[in-house]
Amino acid sequence: MSGIVAEGVSRSFGAVRAVQEASFRAAPGRVTGLVGPNGAGKTTLLLMLASLLAPDAGTIRIDGIDPVADPTAARRLLGWMPDALGAWASLTARETIITTARLYDIPAADAASRAKEMLALVGLQGLSDAPAKVLSRGQKQKLGLARALVHDPRILLLDEPASGLDPEARVHLRHLLRRLASDGRTVLISSHILSELEEVVDDAVFLVAGSVVDAGVVPAGTRMWRLRLVGGAPDRLTADAWRVASALGVAPESLGADRGAVLVGFDSEDAAAHGLRRLVEADIAVAEFAPAQSALEHAFLNLPSAAPPNAVVSDDEEAGA
Amino acid sequence: MSISHIGTVARLELTQRLRSVGWYVLLGIFAVVLLGVTLLSFAVFSGQDAPGAGVYSVVVNLVLLLVVLVSPTLSGNAINGDREAATLAPVQMTMASTGDIMLGKLIAAVATGGAFLAVALPFLAVALLGGGVPPATFAVSVLVLAAEIVVVAAIGVGFSGIVARPLFSIAATYLTVAALVIGTLIAFGLGGAAIRTESVSYQRPWDEQTGEPVCDEWEEFPYEVPRYDLVWGLLAANPFIVLADATPVEFDPNGYPVDLFGQLKVGVRAAQHAPIEQRWDACSPNGQQGPTPEQMVADSVPSWFVGLGIQVLLAGGLFAGAWARTRTPARRLPPGTRIA
Repeated sequence: MSGIVAEGVSRSFGAVRAVQEASFRAAPGRVTGLVGPNGAGKTTLLLMLASLLAPDAGTIRIDGIDPVADPTAARRLLGWMPDALGAWASLTARETIITTARLYDIPAADAASRAKEMLALVGLQGLSDAPAKVLSRGQKQKLGLARALVHDPRILLLDEPASGLDPEARVHLRHLLRRLASDGRTVLISSHILSELEEVVDDAVFLVAGSVVDAGVVPAGTRMWRLRLVGGAPDRLTADAWRVASALGVAPESLGADRGAVLVGFDSEDAAAHGLRRLVEADIAVAEFAPAQSALEHAFLNLPSAAPPNAVVSDDEEAGA
Repeated sequence: MSISHIGTVARLELTQRLRSVGWYVLLGIFAVVLLGVTLLSFAVFSGQDAPGAGVYSVVVNLVLLLVVLVSPTLSGNAINGDREAATLAPVQMTMASTGDIMLGKLIAAVATGGAFLAVALPFLAVALLGGGVPPATFAVSVLVLAAEIVVVAAIGVGFSGIVARPLFSIAATYLTVAALVIGTLIAFGLGGAAIRTESVSYQRPWDEQTGEPVCDEWEEFPYEVPRYDLVWGLLAANPFIVLADATPVEFDPNGYPVDLFGQLKVGVRAAQHAPIEQRWDACSPNGQQGPTPEQMVADSVPSWFVGLGIQVLLAGGLFAGAWARTRTPARRLPPGTRIA
């Protein structure tokens, strides 16, 4: 089985159980999102997948290779971008990539051209000769991505890659990740920015208090939909809400408001479609009708929040423990 | 283990250091100090036939002093400093093994200490031109100095891999080096003075009428002597003593050493001798002849290889401990250690 396979992976730091019995798969050719609240154990899990931390129990396979038994073989396949991005302050962007390439046994002659290629790929070609200490956070993030990609890894582990990036760079990153996945690579990406993650991921792994939660068992719950009538504006919101409420047969107080639009809760997509039909039949001119939350956000917010004991640790503490 | 990886890691360390202005300022100050010390030493040893020997020994000792004083700062955060800056894990993720990283960092630390020796080279050359330094003295002293540079570097890199916080690992390195340099001296001084034995000093009684000594009688005065001969071994691990003890010493025609190595060596070797009976004979005009420094050294045993052996064990143990702690995938982590 290629891609990433984790079976019953656990890791504790003293009394803190950071990851417990986590099992999941990330398939080649797909982008898998690792989603969870702060302190869920995402960074710890990624460190174990990256062959830097040994699990207390369970097995990990990186394209069939056990990173605990044969870290060198696993590292040849792994491209890892950590959340805390360390750059060699006085080295230039080009030197950073060349040094990394040399440590991956890329011959010196190829390393320079590879560095040029990687810096162009992440959009840092204009800053090749700038020392890392003058780069902004977003630029360092791009440098970290270039460093993770230098040896053409089959498996990518990206911890919060979009943080610090401007909107244009985020779009660029999204396209890059899609392209890397379409080459048949396995991409595992963790992020807190769920709306963004949603646009790039094929699959999602939910991590809560160190355990993987099956997205299938996430309770459906009521999802909010945003409804704006033609010409909708804050000053006539009360009137709009009243019309919508009477058409749907609900109390006007049960509706929310959002920048000139009405928020309506529906239990399912079927219920939403049915509601829209009734609005149209009541001759109400609907300009916008869309979920107010992304599906991922909805699933995330409905994750079982009953955290087991000892699990309330921030991401930073747990990665550092 | 790969030469190419070790070289890349060492180059990475050194490149970052070479690009800081402070480093050049430090070397510049060192050059100025060396200039002053060399000039003063020529003045001190100008009375000798070949003043170069004395000047040479002073410059070599000064380089060792600088290595002992500055190296811990430069090597004492080699590993945990990278952890704090989150630059260690990206290297561990590559094909570079733990051994490649450890040796690369050690080589960089040794090269940093070697830079002080490189700055001192012109001054050593001037001292050699001053004459009086035999090839054996030159060769042995430089080799021992190099060994001490490696020992201090390995202690620093070792602590940086074992202790989580750079501040504490640098402090631990300094304390260890200070224990060798100053601690051995304190232990020797206090130990020798604490262990005292009864000794007797003999003098001729004086005739109260004539004021002449009575030449067929001895008067006995018991007193306590410190027994440095029982604790001299404590000095063996001192880097300066190792350097002086290992270096072949030249004596002048009166049996006195011509350079600083020799003076230190005579001091340490003299401590090996049990206190000799004190007999002051007023009836014998020539008085008592003690052994010359040359004779004292000839009647003593060298200790430098024991001292160097202790240092190598200490540095090697710390380095091996750091190696084990830096291995990935990490199993046990000391509290407060960051991985990435």
